Parts: sequence; structure tokens; C-alpha cells
Amino acid sequence: MRETTTVGDELTDTKTAGAPSTSGTVGNTPGKKAKKEREASLWSDAVSDLRRNPIFLIGSALVLLLVVLSAVPQWFTPDSPFTAGACQLQDSLKKPSADHWFGFDVQGCDVYTRTVWAARNSIIVGIVTTALVIVVGGALGLLAGWVGGLVDSLLSRFTEIFFAIPLLLGGMLIMSGLGKGNAWTVSIVLATLGWPQIFRIMRSSVLQNKNNDYVVAARALGAGTWRITMRHILPNAIAPVIVVGAISLGVYIGAEAALSYLGIGVQPPGISWGLMVSDASVRWLQAPHVLLFPAAALSITVLAFIMVGDAVRDALDPKLR
Amino acid sequence: MRGATSAKWVAGAVIVAMAATACSTSKDEAGGKGGNITVVLGEPQHGLVGQNTAESEGAEVLHALFTGLVDYDNKTNEPKLAAAESINTTDSKTWTIKVKDGLTFHNGEKVDAQSFVRAWNWGANQDNAAEGMPFFSKIEGSEELAPGKDKKPTSKELKGLKVVDERTFTVTLKEPFSQFKTMLGYNAFYPLPKAFETDGAKKFGENPIGNGPFQMDGAWDHNKQIKVKRYDKYPAEGRAKLAGVTFKIYDNLDTAYNDLRSDNIQIVDKLPISAMATVSQEFGDRYIYKPESAVGYIGLPLEQNPEAFGKVEIRQALSMAIDRDAITKTIFNGTRKPADDFISPIIPGYRKGALGEVGTYNPTKAKELFDKAGGVPGNKMELGYNADGGHKEWIEAVANQLKANLGIEVTAKPFAKFGELLDDLGASKYKGAFRMAWSMDYPAAENYLRPVFSKVAIENGSNYGHYKNEEFEKTMAEADKATDPAEGLKLYQKADDIVIKDLPYIPIFTYMSSSAYSKSVKNVEVDAQGRMDLANVELN
Repeated sequence: MRETTTVGDELTDTKTAGAPSTSGTVGNTPGKKAKKEREASLWSDAVSDLRRNPIFLIGSALVLLLVVLSAVPQWFTPDSPFTAGACQLQDSLKKPSADHWFGFDVQGCDVYTRTVWAARNSIIVGIVTTALVIVVGGALGLLAGWVGGLVDSLLSRFTEIFFAIPLLLGGMLIMSGLGKGNAWTVSIVLATLGWPQIFRIMRSSVLQNKNNDYVVAARALGAGTWRITMRHILPNAIAPVIVVGAISLGVYIGAEAALSYLGIGVQPPGISWGLMVSDASVRWLQAPHVLLFPAAALSITVLAFIMVGDAVRDALDPKLR
Repeated sequence: MRGATSAKWVAGAVIVAMAATACSTSKDEAGGKGGNITVVLGEPQHGLVGQNTAESEGAEVLHALFTGLVDYDNKTNEPKLAAAESINTTDSKTWTIKVKDGLTFHNGEKVDAQSFVRAWNWGANQDNAAEGMPFFSKIEGSEELAPGKDKKPTSKELKGLKVVDERTFTVTLKEPFSQFKTMLGYNAFYPLPKAFETDGAKKFGENPIGNGPFQMDGAWDHNKQIKVKRYDKYPAEGRAKLAGVTFKIYDNLDTAYNDLRSDNIQIVDKLPISAMATVSQEFGDRYIYKPESAVGYIGLPLEQNPEAFGKVEIRQALSMAIDRDAITKTIFNGTRKPADDFISPIIPGYRKGALGEVGTYNPTKAKELFDKAGGVPGNKMELGYNADGGHKEWIEAVANQLKANLGIEVTAKPFAKFGELLDDLGASKYKGAFRMAWSMDYPAAENYLRPVFSKVAIENGSNYGHYKNEEFEKTMAEADKATDPAEGLKLYQKADDIVIKDLPYIPIFTYMSSSAYSKSVKNVEVDAQGRMDLANVELN
């Protein structure tokens, strides 16, 4: 968060100097403006907006919990699902109890332990995929939009090839061809198919921004291409990328679960919620708890990221106010 | 302010696709005075010709329509004479078979020696591409009728079959085979009438003319039903008691089970898994639960991966580290039983507890033996299975037990199809252990040994681990040559002992079959091949 605010401060200077009319929020909140003039930028506005948004607060609390859970699952459960003898057949399908909150699955493994440890793969896929998509799609989008001409045409056509492949279908195709599923391969495959979306958004915001007065002014003052890009174009174009990235993070987690459910995502002995749901679905009438807990964990995780993404979008997109 | 907020909800939904079969129930058939009953069936794969049927549904109907030379006792599975008056041999190589007098096909034609020779010649000819063709390969001259792909048969008649008189014929085998009589009850050896030659297999298969206790009552109504009625000219002994049976074709066993509960159908010989929890309570002694012929194993690639599985102590340790009892009870809810011999419990020659110590769960001893023999390279192994057959749960359970009891890393590795697993194994791309099961062709101990563990079975059979043992080969050949079946059986058991000592595969469980019947019928029995003995069924 801190980084974005500094970028925002930078932004404020250029905006108030070059194009006051673009930030439509400034005049709409007179109370705040009276208190602190400098906070009335797109980013600082967004931050103060988010602080008071319960959807964002709940969502980010959940996200924080999930990140901690996946980083140090041993804080939440004393057992590891990977130790020999962790699963005993005599415990098979036992119902939830005070000692074992989520009960046992058919192999006699503790469902709570597995659900907690499975968070790691989901979070890895979500974060790694989103990071890759933003870096690759963002960089190429910036390049295409800023340079234009032949480079833009070539990159845009190339992107359209990937854009035509549906995420899940393409993921199934590549994963079943690869045959080696784990969180990292799933992330790379999903990123390969997901970056064109960010590319397009980045490219169009660069095109929108690059002829604005403050860019022209900076160039007139003798700033180089690199400086203009980093100081003026990127900070102004990054907002929609962050919003879309945050929302699609949840989508990637869902996609990982779907691939694992189909048996081509994370492979045993790796643990994934999709895999757990798939295993439990055979006996779900006999033992619904084995299916419901990982399914609920998955739904809550996807929901948390989408809540955060939605809230950030609302805060960053002045047109929706 | 936030009116425009649209929340996107992504929910992980599990869609349970239910194939709802609309099911018309015919009340008039249900246990009325006419003596008709309805039983469950799945659509047979091919036309109803014994020589071309290798699956359970077609075999079920054929069993009612035809009578083979021998049949099997429902309890002991010993072969007993049926259409044959006598089957004799002095050297286990040349067999003299005499057909009973007075047997007729449903069109009135006499059942004679020629009707069997006709049928076997047709089945053995590769131009007819009959499923049962391999069964005739033991008969002399079979290579002339089945020379192999891209070659034309040079003869239409098996050299080894000779008609002596109207009711007698002799069979000469390539090699002596003491269990030949046991093979003869299999449906590939059923007779065929002259009408088969004039009709052709395709037409005949829709409306077959057999020699069994029941005859067709109208042609096969595909995907709906096959109706049969009592054949009154059948010999008094073995004549059907019911006036007719309708084989109603279901594509969903749950529907069939519901129809059984409301007495719309009277016998279901393949109960759905969903019924297992409650069926014994609901049907009491009308629920039949008995061993079936198949045995499930963990196979080991002896030749492909000698570093890991070459030592017999390692194989024994693996076997002792598996808790068969826990797996059959929890994963299979008792629908499988722990295996204690390579031969199924329903087969003459099975010995209870033949596996002895290596078949008994003993994690301490297993670990000791395993460590003393040096373990497996890298302290890890893979356990391959085909993902399309419901094997995941028990393979993972085995993996967990090996992991816990031997302290090694065991990974359950899915393959889409069993064929893929075998291909990778054959190409040495996969070097781990693998799941494997064997279901008999005919009830003989020999059938559990030769097709799985002999040298010829490496090329042409199920010896996927390439197990080779000269002593085993020699004992099997001796057993084949024995003229006294009892002596032959003893020798097969000796061969079984050799396999148990070497443990190329680890037997895990044997399958159980479960059937149930409604209140309106009695005397229902299901044989080891999973077929109903319909001729004996009576109405209450």
C-alpha cells in the first residue's frame, strides 16, 4: 500500500500541474479538501475510501489470514499430512468431532489438516499467476502502446492468438499434455493463457495517456523516453491493471481447483482443494463432510480475493461514483 | 454511491449428472399365475452367438438358451456332464466325446456330434473374428484356421475334430491338457444348429436357436428386452419350471434395484454400490453374497526394474506391509475379501491360507525384512493404476500403508487407461509397481497360473512383470500331461506353491458378487460366472 501512495503523490504533482480536469473527484468532496488538500488525489482518495469500506476490510482480513495460513500452516495444525502414518484406515470417514473438527476422509486422513495445508497451493497459484500476468502483459502492453506502429501491430496480432483460447479449456489441453502437475506448472500455464487481458488494458491506458498535456509538457522540458514512461505513463496507466489483476487472482485460484478436480492440476501426493473435492465426490452421500469443508475453503478464498478486487475497483474508478 | 457495485460470485459447484431412465413397469409379468418373471440385464455387446460372446450380459442369456457339454456345480464349481453323455481320454491329448441321446434344438433338429464340430470350426476361423477364438487354439490344426493377421486361413475345418458316428466325436489337442473337460462348459463351446449356416451369424444372433431349457419368445428387442419361454421338449431332468423369463435391459442399476424393491422385477444379480449398505437388512436371506472368480493384485516389474523388485525379500516385505483386512473392510465395505491364495476361493484346488506368512499383515517383520534386504533405490517407489476403473482409493490406501510401515516414499500414479500403463511398462518408461486383476475364463486352477505367470504369457497373456521360472514351467507341463484330474490338480497346486515362494505379484483381494431376489420367487442361485441358474427358479 505504501508504494502506491508514494506513486500517488508523484502523480498529484503532475496532475495538478498539467491536467487538473482529469481528476474528477477533487471538487466533489469539499469537506476532505478543506482538511487536507494534498490527499485529494486518485490514490489517496482510494485509500481513504477503502479504509471505510467493510467489504474491503473483511476481504483483506481473509486474504491476510489465507496468506499466513499458506506460509506457516504448522501454526494452525500440529500435524503434517505428509508424515508417514498420518492416515490410518481405521479412522476412515469418521464424522467431525471435538478433536478432529472436520472429521476424516476415506483414507483416514484428518480433513482439517489437509484443508489447511492445501491453502498453500491455491495461494501460490493465485499470486504467482497474477504476478506473471501483470509483469508479462504489463510490459508488453506498455511497449505496444508507447512504441506503436509495427511493433504494436505485431504484438496485438500475437496476443489475439492467445486471446482466442478459453482459459480453462486451454489449461486442460496444456496440462494434460504436460502430464506433470504442481502449483508452479499450473501457474505458468494459467499465466500463459491469462496475460493478453492485461496486455490489452495496459496498451489502451498507455494510448489514452500518452498524448495528454502533462506528457507533452514533460517531453517539451526534455525528459527522455525512459523517464516519461516510468514517471508519467506507467503510474497513470497501472490502476486498471491492478484492479483486473486483483479480481482475476480469484479466478485463477478457481481455475487451479477446476484443473485439480479433473486430475490434471496438482497431483498427489500434493494437496489441493480441487483434488480433495474430487476424491470426496465418490462418497459424498455417505460422508458429505469430506467434500463440504474443502469446497467451503475454496469458495471463501475465491470470494475473499474477488471482494478485495471489487472494492479496489470501486475506489479507483471515478466513473462509477 | 455503491449502486453500481456488481459482485461476482464464483462458486465451486459439483454437478451430479444423473441418468434418469424412464422405466415402464409391466405389472402383468410380475409374479402372476402365468409363471413369468422379469430379471435384470445390460445390453449384450454382440449378437447372441456363444462363440462370439466374451462378456457377462450376453453370457447370461446364452446360459438360458444353450446347454454345453458340461456345466459347473453351483457350489464346488466342479464340471459335471450336461449335453455330454461321456467325455473320455487316456492320454489327456485325444478326447472322445459322446453327446446325450434325445437332445434337440428349439427348431426340432437333433443335437449331434456335427452341431458341436460346426460351431467350433466357425469359432476357430479368424475370418469370423469371434471373441472366443483363443479357446480353440489348443486344438490341433487351429493355426490353419487362424494363421494370424494379413494371412488367409488355409482350411475351414479343424484337423483335430473328427466325427466318429452320429453322437460321437474325437478332439485331438496339440499338447496334452488334463483340464480340457473343464473348459468345455464355457459358452465358446456351445453347439450350433444347421440353421446357423443358412441364417448367418448376424441374423442368427438376433433370434438364436439353442438347445437349452429356454427358447426365444420373439426376437431380441434391442435396448429394451429379450424374452424367452420354456422349451417343453427339453429332457425332464433340468427342464425349466418357469413358463417364461423376460430379460429387461437397464442402463442404470439403481433403477433396476428400485424395481426389485417394488417387485416389478424379480432378480437382480448385480447390485449397485448404493444398495450395499442396506440390502442385507432389507432382503434378509433373499440376498446372495458369495465369492466371485476375480483376484486383485499389486504387480511388480521384476525384469524391468530388478534393482527395486528383484529380491524376493523385498516382495515379501511389501506383501506383509499391506493390511488386506482393513482395505477390504473400509474401502470396499466388505464387497471384497482378503486374498490368501493366487487361486480364487471358488475354484477346485484353492487352499485356504496358502499364502501363509507373506499374506499375513505383519508390519514389524516387513520392516525388518525390507531393511535387511537393502530396501529400494532412493527409498521410493511408484504404484500405478488406471484411473477409469475405480482403483484410486484402494491404491492410495496401499500407498499409505507401505509408506507408514516401510518408511519409504510411495506415490500413487494414475494412468488414463490400463493399456497406457502396460504400454509404458513395456517401453520401460514406467518402472513402478502396478495394479492388476485376473478373472477366470473357465473354473480351473490352471487358468489362474498359466495366463498370468507362464513364459508364453509374457508375449500373449498377462505376465506383465515378465516373471520366469523354469521349475514352474516344468511343473505346469507335468500337470497338463497328468491323466488323472486329481493328480493334475496336485501338480497345479505345486506350481502355485512355486509362485507363492517367488511372489511375482502380490495378491490383495478376491471379489465378491452380490445379488438379491424378490419375495415372489425361490430357488434362486447365481454361479461363479455371475449367471443366474434360471431353469431351477420357481414362483412362490
